[in-house]
Amino acid sequence: MNSFHPGESSSHPFVEPTPLPASIPKVNEVGATSAPLKSAAFFIGAYCKEFNEDFMLCKAENRDPAHCLKEGRRVTRCATDLISKMRENCLQQFEAHWNCLEVNNQDYAPCRKPERALNKCMFEKLGLTKTIPGTAPGQTPIHEVENPLFGRMQK
Amino acid sequence: MRFPLVSALFRQDMPPAGGFEAVRYKRNLPLRGPSGLAILGGVTALCAYGFYRVGKGNIEKRELQREKIWSRIHLVPLLLAEGDRDAYRREQAALAREKEIMKDVMDWEAGKSVYNNPRYRSSEYIVVL
Repeated sequence: MNSFHPGESSSHPFVEPTPLPASIPKVNEVGATSAPLKSAAFFIGAYCKEFNEDFMLCKAENRDPAHCLKEGRRVTRCATDLISKMRENCLQQFEAHWNCLEVNNQDYAPCRKPERALNKCMFEKLGLTKTIPGTAPGQTPIHEVENPLFGRMQK
Repeated sequence: MRFPLVSALFRQDMPPAGGFEAVRYKRNLPLRGPSGLAILGGVTALCAYGFYRVGKGNIEKRELQREKIWSRIHLVPLLLAEGDRDAYRREQAALAREKEIMKDVMDWEAGKSVYNNPRYRSSEYIVVL
């Protein structure tokens, strides 16, 4: 049987092996790493706005993880749905962009060229646009500036 | 006594014929680059342009920062939902474990908060088995 030993002297990190209770419906996790998520972030924000806001309002009600499981599943399903749609429609641009983010410290600024291709494709195929909330009216959003001061260090 | 006539022995020193040439008293300073005012003006203009660029750059940096923050804000619900599911799973497992361990103790309520407050608190410790 199990015997207690203190965590600080454990040779391996503790992983809880017990699965989620059967009463909770299963949902596949997104499973994407940070670069694809960052590449898709603004589209997730646009596509899953209602679900995300619903979930965050629920979390504001109560921080208990058990309280917002249903809303959380909707959020995850929506994000999975969006990423599979992106992969169906704009696979090439998506991969080009997140691979660029991967090698550029996950900064958007050095990856404008693949980003514009992705934004164009996403708008044409799925009708989603990248908008940064809070941009001053009349100001060009930073991802559409033609000659930015900050970009790649090496041309 | 009588002195000899002066002119017979000495000759008065006179200026050369046509007079002395003019004394050159003007300073001879050849032109040595732009004037101080020009340099000062140039440096001021250069600095002004530099600060203009810095200002532009600051605005752009701020916008890039905002873009980054919003990209993270859009991902918060997704990551939080995933983390919540895992936290819930581990909490339920810990609760079951506690119930099993403490089943012989009378009046023990497994998972009861030490605070007299219904607000949710994440547990302060985990038991590594």
